[in-house]
Amino acid sequence: MSELPTYILEREFDAPRELVWRTWTEPKLLSHWYGPGVETVIHKLDVTPGGVWLNEMKWGGNSNYERMDFTEVDPPARLVWLHSIADADWAPTANPMMPDWPRVLLTTVTFTEKGNKTLLRLTWQPHEATDAELACFKSALIGMDKGWASGMEILTKMLAEMQSGTTPSSA
Amino acid sequence: MVMQPSNHSSSQQNLDAIFAALADPTRRAILSRLAIGEAGVNELAEPFDMSQPAVSKHLKVLERAGLIERAIDKQRRPARLTAKPMAAAVNWLEEFKEFWSSSFDQLDDLLETLKQAELKEPPNE
Repeated sequence: MSELPTYILEREFDAPRELVWRTWTEPKLLSHWYGPGVETVIHKLDVTPGGVWLNEMKWGGNSNYERMDFTEVDPPARLVWLHSIADADWAPTANPMMPDWPRVLLTTVTFTEKGNKTLLRLTWQPHEATDAELACFKSALIGMDKGWASGMEILTKMLAEMQSGTTPSSA
Repeated sequence: MVMQPSNHSSSQQNLDAIFAALADPTRRAILSRLAIGEAGVNELAEPFDMSQPAVSKHLKVLERAGLIERAIDKQRRPARLTAKPMAAAVNWLEEFKEFWSSSFDQLDDLLETLKQAELKEPPNE
């Protein structure tokens, strides 16, 4: 098995696992928390292998569409789906802002009991990705790992200034 | 490759490497030239009136900071800027992470509400 670049996000919730599971699998609960600062509309949620979650996020007259195709469902311990940005007809599309961003991310969520709490682990891996997509995702991981997010932003600004001919103030 | 929540001190070291690399005006000029397109040591040395070994030294500092990469091509080893595409990808992943983290804050609140509701209405036996 080749080693896929993997991004991991962990979070502990102060609630029993069954309750946390419900918040991921009941549309009313899921739309309540998924998507910060937006109105989340769940057009379909069928949490079974082969089922889909069709999700719309609205803000300021705009809509973003996402399509999640569930591949594994093991209540209340594990959810796996293929996550993609979609058009208004729910067909997966490339990221308009970043064409080389992986079109499909294999998303795995595990729910682990820790006494009365629940440890949630979310991982993303590019799914059936092109070399360009793999490279894009990998470079993002390396950059994040090195804590470059803010440094890179400063650098990008500086490079833009240098190219426009103004001299950057000395670092 | 697996990424864990990053270790602060190593992040700091890498930021230090980036800023140290950027502190030198010649290196900034080299980056600025590479922003237009890749270039070999000869091309880079020309405008600065510098020896090739001196330019190579600067390139090494930039490479260690992860700001450029150099082709394997033994004859010319052109240098290429990696910072800009990487910055875009890093920002995107950072946004992705932010999206989920903020969603999880909302989930925290929801779980608290649900737990309170359960306390008030114990489930039927």
